[in-house]
Amino acid sequence: MSIWPEERTYTHADGFETVDMTINIGPQHPATHGVFRMVLTVDGEMVVDCEPYIGYLHRGLEKLTENNDYRQAMGFWDRTDYLAGMACEGAYCMAVEKLAGIEVPERAEYIRVMLMELSRINSHFMFLGAFGADVGSFGTSFVYAWRERERIYDLFEEVTGDRMFPTYFRPGGVAMDLPENFEPRVRWLLGSIRQGIEDLDRLLTGNEIFVERCTGLSPLATDRAINMGVTGPVLRATGLPWDLRKAEPYSIYPRIAFDIPTGRQGDIFDRYFVRLAEMYQSARIVEQCLEQIEPGLVLNPKLPKNLRIDNGECYVRNEGTKGEYGVYALARGGNKPYRMKLRSPSFCNLAGLREMVVGNYVADAIIILGSLDIVLGEVDK
Amino acid sequence: MSSTLPPVPAASQSPAETIVEAIRRNLPHVPFAEGQTATDTDLAVAPEHLLALVTGLKTRKELAFDFLRNIAGVDMEAEGLVCKYQLYSFKHGHALQITVACPPDNPRLPSLTGLYAAADWHEREAAEMFGLIFEGHPNPKNLLLEEDLRIHPLLKAHPLQKVEILQGIEEGPPGFKF
Repeated sequence: MSIWPEERTYTHADGFETVDMTINIGPQHPATHGVFRMVLTVDGEMVVDCEPYIGYLHRGLEKLTENNDYRQAMGFWDRTDYLAGMACEGAYCMAVEKLAGIEVPERAEYIRVMLMELSRINSHFMFLGAFGADVGSFGTSFVYAWRERERIYDLFEEVTGDRMFPTYFRPGGVAMDLPENFEPRVRWLLGSIRQGIEDLDRLLTGNEIFVERCTGLSPLATDRAINMGVTGPVLRATGLPWDLRKAEPYSIYPRIAFDIPTGRQGDIFDRYFVRLAEMYQSARIVEQCLEQIEPGLVLNPKLPKNLRIDNGECYVRNEGTKGEYGVYALARGGNKPYRMKLRSPSFCNLAGLREMVVGNYVADAIIILGSLDIVLGEVDK
Repeated sequence: MSSTLPPVPAASQSPAETIVEAIRRNLPHVPFAEGQTATDTDLAVAPEHLLALVTGLKTRKELAFDFLRNIAGVDMEAEGLVCKYQLYSFKHGHALQITVACPPDNPRLPSLTGLYAAADWHEREAAEMFGLIFEGHPNPKNLLLEEDLRIHPLLKAHPLQKVEILQGIEEGPPGFKF
């Protein structure tokens, strides 16, 4: 199939003739959330075909990882899902630790989980802001979301020294201990976050036009979602309570109580609402971590200076912000991984875009894309 | 204090033995070798048996591997290309890895797009990055790379260099090597 498919004409029952038209959206377009391009074939207002094009942000993550040693390569990984850099670092470190058999001190696990959950909140705020803008609340939702994101980034800067790409985790722990005023600071932040979620909840869920627009749009059945490889909030919106933090627990998640919010029919509104509910759960997790954390080491003291792994293979998965963030790692000696593959949730969710979009209006295609909450850094690697 | 965490109760660990037995019982006609990675049970299978194995894994009710997580190509240099498939069953909560080693001169595999819609993009990616050929793929175009680019960057023989320099369009900085 070419980029511009042959024009097709339809003659309807009443003799009315229509001609298909192709519309190119992206790669530079505000509605595509990054450098993503899709070519829609439309019949009037209806989408009859959709061809996504990705790769505009391909930086060769896997090749670079194979050519840098285990500690150096981490900087590339928080640039995959750049809205939640620390969730990606966590997955990468877990893969290296699994290969090398490194143990992580308990305090470091708590710090990691807290920062990963704050990253999740951060990423979901971005979704709420951008999705609100997609649906038509223009700047308001964006500004509301940005206020909270700014506060979370300020905290990240205090803890790690950087806002978006902290490179704070290390195989075997984290780089440095928390600052002294961390606990009151986070408690204040959680209060602010809860207020922010409520504001957005009132702004969007309280808006009848928003709800009418999103409810029942592009519903997805659970079986089909599984077959398409869709994970994360989009899968949970179909009604399946599957979260890797509970299904295949890792780190300290078994010690923490939280719920898995689910939707009912997998439509756009459910996807939105699942994310909104997840943010409250993440805040709950951070609070429990604050209560359970104890003083101690933050980095395993027995780490070798030069990390070499003789042999090993693993597929480590954790619940990233967009779905199952998997790292396939293969070591065959030396201080570099032989192969590292990222199973990125945005990539797999986006693969199902065509099926979700066909049969809907052009204006809804934008919302459907927005509801998948893709990050192009992660899609393109 | 550097107390270690209790071992994570991985769902795929304890019933792993029974999974392999169940697969042997359900699919006696498919020859495979059993292994273990740090996280999953591993089945090594020849390319010609892959489709029969995966079809059985997906359709048999006891196995019900309904979710294709990931496809990863690996370049083993002299030993040829290898393809790793990660499967998961939502019904039973067990995970499995399938290793398919292609002969060095014939990197052909059957496409799994007929069974899993998720295989589409994963296979396109593995095809462009390694030069694997997935027979029966409905749309075998480049995905991440440019459409007309016929290089396979993740092969170990491929140098770590800008594409423009490799193609001779641009000159590299003198004396610079990554």
